[in-house]
Amino acid sequence: MKNKVLSLALLAIFVFSVVASGCIGGEKTTTQTTQTGAQYAEQIVIGVTDKVTDLDPANAYDFYTWEVLNNIMEGLVKYKPGTLEIEPALAESWEVNEDSTVWTFHLRKDLKFADGTPLKAQDVVRSIERVMTIQGDPSWLVTDFVEKVEAKDDYTVVFYLKQPTSYFLALLTTPPYFPVHPSYSPNEIQSDQTAGGAGPYKIVKWVRDEELVLEANPNYYGEPPKTKRIIIKFYRDASTMRLALQNGEIDIAWRTLRPTDIESLKSEGKYSVIEVPGGFIRYVCLNTKSEPTNNVKVRQALAAAIDRQEISNKVFKGTVEPLYSLIPNGMWSHVDVFKEKYSDGNIDLAKKLLKEAGYDENNPLMIQLWYTPTHYGDTEADLAQVLKEQWERTGVIKVEIKSAEWGTYVDYARKGQMQAYLLGWYPDYLDPDDYTTPFLKSTANSWAGTGYANPTVDELLTKAQSLTDQNERTKLYEQVQKILVEDVPYIPLIQGKLFVVTSPNIKGVTIGPDMIFKYSTIYKEKS
Amino acid sequence: MTRGIGQYIVIRGLMIIPTILILYTIVFIFLRILPGNPVLAVVGTKNISPEQLQHLMEMAGLDKPLYVQYFDYLWKMLHGDFGVTLAFPMGKPVVEYLKLRFPATLELTIFGFTVSVLIGLLTGTVAATKKGTKIDTGMRLYSIIAYTLFIPWFGMMLQYVFGIHFHVLPTSGRIDPGIELQRITGLYVLDSILTGNWEAFTSAIRHLILPATTLGIVLSGAYTRLVRNNMVDVLSQDFIRSYHARGVRDWKVTWYALKNAFIPVVTLMGLQFAILLGGAVLTETTFNWPGMGTFIVDRIDYRDYNAIQGAVVFFAFFVGLISLIVDIIYALLDPRVKY
Repeated sequence: MKNKVLSLALLAIFVFSVVASGCIGGEKTTTQTTQTGAQYAEQIVIGVTDKVTDLDPANAYDFYTWEVLNNIMEGLVKYKPGTLEIEPALAESWEVNEDSTVWTFHLRKDLKFADGTPLKAQDVVRSIERVMTIQGDPSWLVTDFVEKVEAKDDYTVVFYLKQPTSYFLALLTTPPYFPVHPSYSPNEIQSDQTAGGAGPYKIVKWVRDEELVLEANPNYYGEPPKTKRIIIKFYRDASTMRLALQNGEIDIAWRTLRPTDIESLKSEGKYSVIEVPGGFIRYVCLNTKSEPTNNVKVRQALAAAIDRQEISNKVFKGTVEPLYSLIPNGMWSHVDVFKEKYSDGNIDLAKKLLKEAGYDENNPLMIQLWYTPTHYGDTEADLAQVLKEQWERTGVIKVEIKSAEWGTYVDYARKGQMQAYLLGWYPDYLDPDDYTTPFLKSTANSWAGTGYANPTVDELLTKAQSLTDQNERTKLYEQVQKILVEDVPYIPLIQGKLFVVTSPNIKGVTIGPDMIFKYSTIYKEKS
Repeated sequence: MTRGIGQYIVIRGLMIIPTILILYTIVFIFLRILPGNPVLAVVGTKNISPEQLQHLMEMAGLDKPLYVQYFDYLWKMLHGDFGVTLAFPMGKPVVEYLKLRFPATLELTIFGFTVSVLIGLLTGTVAATKKGTKIDTGMRLYSIIAYTLFIPWFGMMLQYVFGIHFHVLPTSGRIDPGIELQRITGLYVLDSILTGNWEAFTSAIRHLILPATTLGIVLSGAYTRLVRNNMVDVLSQDFIRSYHARGVRDWKVTWYALKNAFIPVVTLMGLQFAILLGGAVLTETTFNWPGMGTFIVDRIDYRDYNAIQGAVVFFAFFVGLISLIVDIIYALLDPRVKY
């Protein structure tokens, strides 16, 4: 009987909804005709579970916000879509002095902000000085490197650096270096400022955590975007976002669907699932200052017992790849050091090392493994569980799993209160330096709380930063990785891949190793 | 008499103050007991110097002693100021978010409430008139099942059926993207009527159907039981029998009975409205509804003390106000209430 009532109620909703949907006479989609004659939809809706934190490039320091900033602003140089190759953007050419401390850029002459205000060298200087004054979270990307910046004339910008920095162009692709509209306050963070810069799009509507609407910037110097309007819808929950994709409410589901959802959407065959190699890495941090992980043999044993392939398959359904160094796969100077030394799931070696450290079946190693339940997605608890199983396979380790919410977790990490704990890293700029210095250099790694300090490593990293020759730098980073695998303050686990799932009529998705989705190339074919 | 009710209203109104004060204190303490703080949540694992960290703490006012923070915020609230957000973005008045988010929750609540009362009255009346039959048992079973349904699960079932399977209703959000609607009250349905924007009206109604139904069905269980029991009581009374004896039609008799059974239901409505606002939190996350519920959950992630305190106090104040109004109406209706 209950069923009857329920089905009656459902029927009532159904009838009502059909009537309601009839009222608007189906979906209205306007189209535009492009030069090629093909018909593209005017609007594309993208769903994300990430948040836009701070629209001010002087303070924004998270991945998704950087993506939005990359679409509404541009720097002097940028990555060629889909590659690690740097190409001219606002600057049409540049020179560098011999020891790469003075960089001179020549701007294009026709540059304008989205509202038509001309963009000159003084705007570049003003924007960068603004970042230096405000001292926001990402300001170190400027202040650690730039001594001063000057406008020689309306179209020439000169950077004087504190030390030789060979990868300065990579730094220039980051948002703190993007010129912003004059309406940005020179000394205050403006988190909801929408004036933007000189990118392919401009913001026309911004409702925090709800909706962001972008429209093609008519004053953009480059090729105009293929789709006039991009709407970003913000979701709290990945499964709600998946449903919205299946129901056609969004055209693209972007960061971040759960691995199980990706797998099932793939098998449904109705959607395009695009795989993006990512520079996102995950690793276990080991506290080198406190018992029992202050013993290097213990750390080595923990590294040896881990089976990365199993983690990839079991926890991430193959949506990630194993990682055997802190420097990601595919980046120059990467060496599979952990694979060479420990291989994968090497229980015998782990047991041997633990025995040397004074542990056996009767006196097992007790260790706490920490994770944070939401920050890295739903899979995190499973990841901790699989690691526990792998370590306990040795029969000599007893693992207690503990967890804390993100705010608490990073506090514990910073204070060095955890023994073994899971963290992840999104690159600031694409250079081996960003995968080594912040982790291993004793003056830069306090955030991680491993307490690792090795003078040789410090010296090698400082030297690598100043050299311009990539071959020489490669040698230094290889040495650093060799020391990393002996000292094991971190155990690299996996490298993320990103997935864009789109309805089949969406075309032109290009995402490079910087993992930034540039919306200007996508378009929606009219079926 | 008039003076009496005046006094009652004042005293009853004043009782809201200690309630809110206690709630504020609890929320304040709980937020501070938990390790971590908004600044650390924002900074995360990124590389920043201890001086910079200290600077950020000062900017957020977190370097002050706890009692200073407590009274500072209390003092501000007394002046209708809920402080500024401490994270993402820093320094935006919390009240702006409340203005933005509260109407969304209110709209969902009003529609959910209407659905629950309608279903409750219908099922309760049917059960009472068919007392002792299988239909009665069925309705009572419905009330229990509806009451115990888990909102996210039930919501997702509806999303699957009406969104993914039949493709007739949207499963998330309040309105189709790209529809421009002038904001007057923040209640989209009302705003679209006021501005005569029928495209927005249809879209807003379509978006409301699933979340309001989810919320409505789950909360209708309590009404079903209450209406049924009252109706059974009323239907067994003499005046009803005399109606039957005089040959009044069945549906008319039921209508008279329903009117009499309705009084206790009003009381429940007042109570349910508060529960509804709470239930809206779960419904909001399931349907990506940008209301107070999702706002509070978002802010908890950032440990945004001011925003959480502000939202909770505002919520409590509103619920207190509703229950005050219900009590006053009840006092006016029922002479037995002493004041």
